[in-house]
Order: sequence, then structure tokens, then C-alpha cells
Amino acid sequence: MSGVKRRVSIGSAVVLVLAVAAVVVWGRGGDTPAGEGLTKVRGVIGSEKQAFFTDPRVVAAFARHGLDVEVDTAGSRQIATTVDLDRYEFAFPSSSPAAQRIQRDRGITTAHTPFQSPMAVATFEPIAALLADAGVVRAGAGGYQVLDIARYLELTAAGTRWDQLPGNTAYPARKNVLITTTDPRESNSAAMYLAITSFVANGDAVVSGPEQEARVLPAVTKLFLDQGYTQNSTEGPFEDYLAAGMGKTPLALVYESQYVGRRLRGDGSIRPDMRMLYTAPTVYSKHTLVPLSGNGDRVGQLLTTDPELGGLAASFGFRTNDPRVFADVLARAGESAPAELVDAVEPPSFETLERMLDEVGKRY
Amino acid sequence: MRKALAFALAAALLAGCSTDAGGPADPARPPEPAVLRVLAGSELADMAPLLDEAAKATGVTVEFTFTGTLEGVETLATGGADGRYDAVWFSSNRYPAGVPEAARRLGNQVKVMASPVVLGLAESTARRLGWADRRVGWGEIAEQAGRRAFTYGMTDPSASNSGFSALVGVASALAGAGRAVDAGQIAAVTPELTAFFGAQALSAGSSGWLSDAYQRRATGQDPGPKIDGLVNYESVLLSLNAAGGLPEPLTLIHPVDGVVTADYPLTLLAGSGDAARAAHQRLTDHLRTPEVQRRIADTTHRRPVVPGVDLGTPFAPADLVELPFPATREAVDALLSAYFNKLRRPSRTLYVVDVSGSMAGDRIASLRSALVGLTGADDSLTGRFRQFRNREEVTVLPFSSTPGAPEVFTVPEEHPEAVLAGIRRFAEGLEADGGTAIYDSLDHAYRQLGPAVAADPDRFHSIVLMTDGENANGKDFAAFRASFGSVPAPVRQVPVFTVLFGEGSSAELTEVAAMTGGKVFDARRGPLAEVFQEIRGYQ
Repeated sequence: MSGVKRRVSIGSAVVLVLAVAAVVVWGRGGDTPAGEGLTKVRGVIGSEKQAFFTDPRVVAAFARHGLDVEVDTAGSRQIATTVDLDRYEFAFPSSSPAAQRIQRDRGITTAHTPFQSPMAVATFEPIAALLADAGVVRAGAGGYQVLDIARYLELTAAGTRWDQLPGNTAYPARKNVLITTTDPRESNSAAMYLAITSFVANGDAVVSGPEQEARVLPAVTKLFLDQGYTQNSTEGPFEDYLAAGMGKTPLALVYESQYVGRRLRGDGSIRPDMRMLYTAPTVYSKHTLVPLSGNGDRVGQLLTTDPELGGLAASFGFRTNDPRVFADVLARAGESAPAELVDAVEPPSFETLERMLDEVGKRY
Repeated sequence: MRKALAFALAAALLAGCSTDAGGPADPARPPEPAVLRVLAGSELADMAPLLDEAAKATGVTVEFTFTGTLEGVETLATGGADGRYDAVWFSSNRYPAGVPEAARRLGNQVKVMASPVVLGLAESTARRLGWADRRVGWGEIAEQAGRRAFTYGMTDPSASNSGFSALVGVASALAGAGRAVDAGQIAAVTPELTAFFGAQALSAGSSGWLSDAYQRRATGQDPGPKIDGLVNYESVLLSLNAAGGLPEPLTLIHPVDGVVTADYPLTLLAGSGDAARAAHQRLTDHLRTPEVQRRIADTTHRRPVVPGVDLGTPFAPADLVELPFPATREAVDALLSAYFNKLRRPSRTLYVVDVSGSMAGDRIASLRSALVGLTGADDSLTGRFRQFRNREEVTVLPFSSTPGAPEVFTVPEEHPEAVLAGIRRFAEGLEADGGTAIYDSLDHAYRQLGPAVAADPDRFHSIVLMTDGENANGKDFAAFRASFGSVPAPVRQVPVFTVLFGEGSSAELTEVAAMTGGKVFDARRGPLAEVFQEIRGYQ
């Protein structure tokens, strides 16, 4: 899907040659054992990294290191809890809490965090202006607009509808001001959203312990339940945002990488009236690879150390360990993003996050 | 993904490089043949030509088994899909998501296309109401419906997603709470909802039959009164217009305060093996290429869902407010139960059932349990919403050599248990004996219905005619057909849903259904109880 789309924008002859090489390599992959010395390595990943892993340039880069990496996608919580990991050589969920759970359950001490991405909200210029008037959107550090979660929680606590915002002619929808997220029972981005909102609801402190959990739950549960049905993969709301527009999804919770990746791709799917706002505070979703075999560990090492793979990850909008790689890729494309988001907080421990997600899940 | 991508890349590159090895069936990567067994909503039958093309391009052949939305959820939840299907494909995954046992069986889901549920009104009606050039909201629509300024047809919300989406849409919009609707909010807007559903003139168990019936009435083919519009998928309404069979086209009304949109996720079952997983990936990658997205839009009138693929002009307005959809089974149940027992116009239902000697044994037992099943004995996900409803008037007219005495039951608005128990006792007391006077009995049903319709016309009227044999006593089919024109109009307009059972004459019963604007159901192979449940969608 996205890969096929991207091929349209592939311009240079060099890349074409690489792509042909990739096709040849793939031709031998698949259900038969990989030939020509390529070692097949199978992993399970969060869906937002699928486009990266299936990109011909990434496949070619791994092939140069003798690896044929094949991936299945699943929600990060599912990877940590229900997916049968015996079928895979690495697990690559989208956040550190999920990775920690896998490490603990399987007694694994190593992990690689080759890239990360802060949570953000994809929206539209008229919505951003409306929320700026309402004091929810403001200038953050470095001149980037942010969505103030504390002010946002005031609106959601009161059940404010869009058409109740003063002076709103741009989007007078009779539905609540709510960020569209994924299903908190299944998806990592919803868990990250819970991390952000629970921090603010807890008086700007990471939630820790049953007492604090109980205190913040009413406010944060409402953020999910009031949405009604939610999808189970972060690509879902973001695609709705891109394809169906403002009416359906005025505010979509996204990974920065999803939005920036689309911009870097330059495929026209980010239209001029689209905006990305960082949440204030935000959390970094730390994509953490847990190796389940030696080959799986190789994949993690390569992603962390191979400059080519690092550059490619940055071209998908991921922030690399070396911030210059991400900055260079953006600069070359005439794009920019804050080098560092100062207003970033840590997610709660996996146990706290799990207990809160379970409690939210019980209210459905 | 990777194989399809490799194939697409290879094809594109080879074509671009104009080498001699080109052609879509690139010999370097011949499509691997695979079969994907898919449990699907019946409206997806219109994807057949596109899936044939997909099979050529990807090697993946889709093997459809069609079922209703709630039935599909039930199949998933009870494990009936495990091992029998590789994937499910319904208008949305919102229903199964609310049923934990079904939700946990869903794997990777890939949206293929979208269509909002909207109101289509005959052009002249839309113009008369001043809605042709102006966006209106559900509130105004409900108000005009309450005045009976127009009538419409809609599918049964427990049988079909378009009906349920409309119910959610109108309830959420009228409740105006801005969040996913719940039981309390529904109760608060009961008068407005009752007004809206007061204008519903036709119900159906399937979206396809509904649009056919609309067209047959609009052209005068069916005896029933003409209807001003349909609540249905935008794609169904656009297809009706495009087919050109309507006397006047439908004007599509997209309520400004929001709609509920079907997004057709082709969903792998969680327990599927590698082969199915790969086939699902290849197929969905193909269906989501810009070219195929455009083909889907042109062929089925459903909206593209892939970012960057232009919507095109037929889909106006492009930007629709999406109403929140209830995520809990409690809210779904509350909505359905309010619709059936409170909001919609009540039904008057007449069962003309064969109790001739040939029904003795298993057949009469099937008939008894089919009727008993509608009295609340079936508490499955679907069964609960197919039973006789509060406010419904149910008449059972058993017949053999002559029509028997009709027994009339009126289910009260509250506490229906005692009357339902009465129907159950009556059904259990049916005995098989004697001959088969089908048409004398149907005449008798018409005579029975006449005064009732005149006294209380504002109901959904229908007759169910079930027989297991050929007509042997009284007037024959030819005589019935000849005298049909002299049946008083209000009764002649009542659709007859005929049920083929045992040796029932297929040709005659099909014609009775066609003459009356009904539908023929076949219970010769499946359980009679299921057919009786299915017919509930049309009553």
C-alpha cells in the first residue's frame, strides 16, 4: 500500500537499481528458504513500522548484511501479552513499557532502542485556530504550536461540543471536542495517550501506585469511552484523517513519525491546511527491539548502528539516536521539527499502565 | 505486503524499462495461487468483478460465504468461524468489537472502501421539502418525518448494518450529547425518534431487497404505495441512480450534523496460518493501490480510503462529520430494543400456516418450534431481536382442508411475557390433519385483515404463508390470481412472504410473493426456525 504509493516518487536511477535488486532478492525469499546466503529473520512489530520494514531500500540494506527480514504486525500490547513469540526472532513493540514486559516475561536482558517518536496530534488549520482562540492551542518552546493537555482536559471534563466553542463557524459539529485515538485495550498509541493525560490529571506527576491510579481514572476513562468505537491500529485514525478529512477526524493522535514520514514522502497526502501539534506535555514512544535469538539481535544492532538504516529510519520520520541524522534528513527535504521537545514526560511503569488500561477496558 | 509489492514493482519497473520480459504476469514472480475463505456481508457481492481482477493480479481467489451482520458476529463469538474461514469482511468491525468473544478473534484489519449511510429522496420530494440545494440536519429530517411530509424505507437494524447505522446516526444526532450514545440519552429523545421512524414505510432484512422493492413500487410493479425515499448506503443510492431504472433520480441528503460510515475492513482472523496471512496481505495491498481504489469507486460507488486518492465528483460533499458509534454491547442492545419495542411503528403480522396431514411428524414439530422461537425462547444475539415485539399484533391462521379459526394476540407495550406465553401455548397445540386449501386460506386472511387495516392503518402489515404441499382443496392458484384484483386496495398492498417447505409449489409461491410485493423464502434445506427469523426483518 504505502510502499507501492511511494514507488511513484522514487526518482533517481540509483534508487531504481536498488529497487530492482530488492525485487530479485525478494523473488528468492517468501515461503521457500532464502537463497544466496540470505538468512531469514522473522519479527513481530507495531504496525506503524511496517512501511519502513517493507521499503525496498530497507530490504536491500538488510540484504547487504546477509539478512532477509520478514515482519508481521500486531498491537504493542498484544505483542507483549497475547502474540506467540516463539514464532519470531525479535519483537519490536512501539514503546518501552511493552518491551520491558517481554524482557521480564522471557528473562531477556538485552534490548535495542534504535529510534523513537514523540506523540502529537494531527489536525487542520481551522481547528488549530479555533482551539487557539479557546486557549487550548498555544505557542510552545521553540515556536512550535502545542496542544495544552491541561486546558484540553477542562473541555473534555465539561463534555464541551465543538459547536459550543465561542465564535465557532469553522467546525460547528454537534460532537464533543475529543482527540481520536485507538482502542486502549489493544494499541500502544492509546497507552501513550493515557500516559500523557494521566500525568496531567495527576497534577503533573507520573502516576504511581493504586491511590493515584484511582484518582485519575474517571477523567482519563472518559477520554476513551466518549469516543465510542475506536480502531485498533494507529494507522486507522491517521488514514481517516488523511483520506476522509476534518469532518470525520478533526484531531487524530499520531506518532510524530507518521506525520513527518508522510511529509518527507512528499506524496501530496499532507495537504496545505493540515497541521501537526505536539501535545504539552508529550511522551516519547521508544520503539524498543527485544531480541529473541542471535539473528534477532543482529537486526537490533544493525538498526542501531548501521548509518544507512539510520538514515532510512529518519526518512520515515523516526528520531534516531544520533539527532543529526534526523535533522539532516529533514533539512534536505526543506522540513523542520524541534530538535528536542523539552516538555516531555516519562510514561508510568508497565504495571501501572497495564492496570490503568485494564480499568479503562472494564468500563466498555 | 512484500510479495505483492515486489510484484507491483517488478511489473512497473519492467514495463518502464520496456524489457522483453514484461507483461503483468511477470514470469519472475508468478502470482502464487491461494484461496481466502471469507465470511462476508451480502452487499459485497458487487465486488465480484474487482475480485476476479484481483485474483489474476495476485493469485488470491476469494471464496465468499454471505451472512447478516449480527449473524456474522454470532458466528465469530461462538467459534463457528474458527477453521472454516480465514477472514471476515463486513461493512464495519464496530459490532464484533463490542462483543469480547468476537473481538478477540479479529486479527489484522485493512480498510478497503467507505460509504456513509444517508437519506435518498426522490428529486421532486427533496425539492418540495427545500432540501435539494441546502444541507439539513437530522433534527429537521425527523421533524418533517413526524409530519409524514415524506416516507422512506430502511433495513432492519438487527439484520443489516445500513439500518443500524441510520439508527445510531439519528439517535446520536438528536441526543446532541456529542459522545457515543447510551441508553439514558435514547430515552431522553424518544419523542423525536418516534417521529422520525413514524415515516418509515418499508422494512427489509437486506439492503439489496430494499432498493429493489423501492424501485418496483416507484415503477408501479408492486401493488404497495410508492415510497419517497430510502435510508441506505450512499453507494446503494448512487448505484440506483446510475442504473437508470428509477422514474426520477434520488437526491442524496447527507445530514449536516453527521453520519455513520461503513469502512469495510477486510479482517484476517487471529488464528489464521501463514498462508492465509500472506494471501490477505497480497489481496489488501492490491485492493488499496490507487488504480484499484478508483476502479472500486467507479464500479461500486464506494469512497476510496487510501490517502492521496482523489474522491472525485460523485462523492459530494466530501467532508462528512462522523458521529460516534457506541462501543458497548449494552448501548447497542438498548438502541435495538428501543427501536423494536418503542420507536418504530408497530407491526400487524398474520401467519397463514399449513397444518395438513402431510405436516405430521417432524414438519409440524419444526413449525411449532419456529413459532415458539419467536416468543423469546431464542436468546442468541440475533434471536433476541427477532422475537415478537411489544405492541405487535400477531395472528396465527392454521389451515388444512379449510381455513381454521384465526387466533389474534396483541403484545402489550410493557410486560409482554404473558401474551408471548399464550402464543407459545397456541403454537405447541398445533396438530397436523386433513387437506391443503392454500388460496381459500389466503383469501380468509385478507378478509380477516380488511377491517383491522381500516380501523388501524398505521402499522407495518405483512402476511407469512407457509405450506408444505400443493393446493388440494378450495380455489386454485389461477382462480386466486384472477380474483386478486378485486381484493380491496389497502389489503392488496400487504406483502405476502411465502415459505417453501416440504413439497410446496415453488412456482406458485414465487408468483404469490411477486404479485404482492413480498419475497419467497426457502425452508426446504435449512431449518424453518431460521427462515421465520429472517422474515422478521421484513415485518
